[in-house]
Amino acid sequence: MKELILIAGLGVLALLAGLINGRKFFMPIVLIGLSTNIGFSLADWGSNEMVYGMLKLDNFALAFNIVFSAIAFLWFISAYEYFTDDNNFSDHFALVLFTLTGAFLLVSFTNMITLFLGIEILSIPLFVLVGSNKTKLKSNEAAFKYFLLGSFASAFLLFGMALIYGSTGSFDLAIISGTIAKSTSIPPMYFAGMLLMLMSIAFKVSAAPFHFWAPDAYEGAPTNITAYMATVVKTVAFAAFFRLFYSAFGSVHSEYALVLSIMCAITLIVANITAAVQANVKRMMAYSSISHAGFMLIAIFTLNAANLLLYYTLVYSISSIIVFTVIKIVKAYNSGNDSINAFKGLLKQNPILAGCLIVALLSMAGIPPLAGFMAKYFMFTTLVSNGYLWLVVIAILTSLVGVYYYFKVIIAVFQKPETENDITLSFAHKFILIICALALLVISIVPDMILGVL
Amino acid sequence: MSISQYIFWFLSFVAVLSALIVVFAKNPIYSVLNLIITFFAIAGHYFLLNAQFLAAVHIIVYAGAIMVLFLYVIMMLNLNKETEPHKKQYVKLVAVVAAGLLMLTIIGSLKGAEAMVPAGIVNNNIGTVELIGDKLFGEFLLPFEVSSILLLSAMVGAVYLSKKELH
Repeated sequence: MKELILIAGLGVLALLAGLINGRKFFMPIVLIGLSTNIGFSLADWGSNEMVYGMLKLDNFALAFNIVFSAIAFLWFISAYEYFTDDNNFSDHFALVLFTLTGAFLLVSFTNMITLFLGIEILSIPLFVLVGSNKTKLKSNEAAFKYFLLGSFASAFLLFGMALIYGSTGSFDLAIISGTIAKSTSIPPMYFAGMLLMLMSIAFKVSAAPFHFWAPDAYEGAPTNITAYMATVVKTVAFAAFFRLFYSAFGSVHSEYALVLSIMCAITLIVANITAAVQANVKRMMAYSSISHAGFMLIAIFTLNAANLLLYYTLVYSISSIIVFTVIKIVKAYNSGNDSINAFKGLLKQNPILAGCLIVALLSMAGIPPLAGFMAKYFMFTTLVSNGYLWLVVIAILTSLVGVYYYFKVIIAVFQKPETENDITLSFAHKFILIICALALLVISIVPDMILGVL
Repeated sequence: MSISQYIFWFLSFVAVLSALIVVFAKNPIYSVLNLIITFFAIAGHYFLLNAQFLAAVHIIVYAGAIMVLFLYVIMMLNLNKETEPHKKQYVKLVAVVAAGLLMLTIIGSLKGAEAMVPAGIVNNNIGTVELIGDKLFGEFLLPFEVSSILLLSAMVGAVYLSKKELH
């Protein structure tokens, strides 16, 4: 409960800070607030607190709460210049903090109503943030597309919830699961409801074939917000996906495993092949994000894989923060050009920037011994132990395609620069890049530390 | 047939007919006006199901607020046939097939639904304002309070998007 009040309170406080023009002191307050949130979660560890019968702070919820708060903490530092405009810093702060409130609901819900509220509180400020580059046509287009398709997906979610309620008589995940486990014949309405909810959540995590909004939204949004969508939002959406299917539909696991495994295969193939032909790095990273969503889907339909999901989302989010921060800096330096050519000669222009980018891309491509390799390796072993050998073959082949397009950027980094000027990094950017790169190295050495918590 | 069954068939006929007109009408104003009729027919269904509060809210929110918004937008945009973009033929085909499959799934899922009597739905007072208030401030207190954050964030977003950029 105190976590929810803390984050929502910070959002309201952000609006008040706009009144007294507290641009300078609000960033530290947010960072302290997020650290306090992590501290609260650590203090609550193992308590299984129920909040009004609607949220349950079990270890899964707390672990994901810590992870998304930590990622948001890193993101706030890396995106500090997004909050420096005197006119709209409080709006930006408030909207981001409100999405974090939704994120907290999504990692801890035990009821369909809180799931729906969480998804809406996460999405609605995000539609606005995607369109926050108000003078750019692309940003407007991205926000509009995301908004229309997002509301459409929410309608499917509600329809699915209504059908599930009709067949079980409850919104509570435990009761839904219990009713179905006890009943001798499961009503067809239940499966239709599950399918509709699956479609809607697959949209939120941008799994194929519901991914069409993602490249446009990722490309059109301000790069800081793209980073936010690829890290915090993706982590939280997957946590909600896992929680819903594990607690509410766990008793019919065999029914949805096939659907999800096929969806996973389609996601991996479509995303990786499309990413390989992109010339724009931001768009390429959007497709790469979809392909990683395919890998994370593996944790949803194999049993007992909560810790793998935690590890994968953490690794992917940290490397995403590095990549999108570098894209943002390079794009600003090359006056808005974010094609692969803009990365030419990055090594000469700024070795720290180039080094961190290479570490992050190699990790995403799954080159040993980096954390991305460990994350993919664990996913593969769990697939093999669950008997999905065909999917392992597809996943390895598509990962090789992934290596190709990540290396396109890395090769450009090593080429001769077009302009000789050096890129200067601000202290915050330098700090966050080095911290993230070090974190990637550390969690690749001790994966058991993270895998062991759940 | 009892009187409520006659009313049910009449309301259903009106709802389906006006919904079809919404889709097939050439003039968007006719679409909107028929959508209002659809909403009223559905509100009638809510009354038949003893959900007076839902019926009242449905009329106030949808027929009142949202339809007025629709009408204003259509009048301001000045839509007509020439400016409407034409979809490609195969896109239309794909859309019809996909929507048809979804409809088939949902109709198929209703099979055996009449035999099911879910455990929770036995209260005769269901749908009354008292019961809704009781649930809202009892069992569903947390979602009720949390939805204030949803409304606040939507408001902040709307103000942010519509305010002028100062330079």
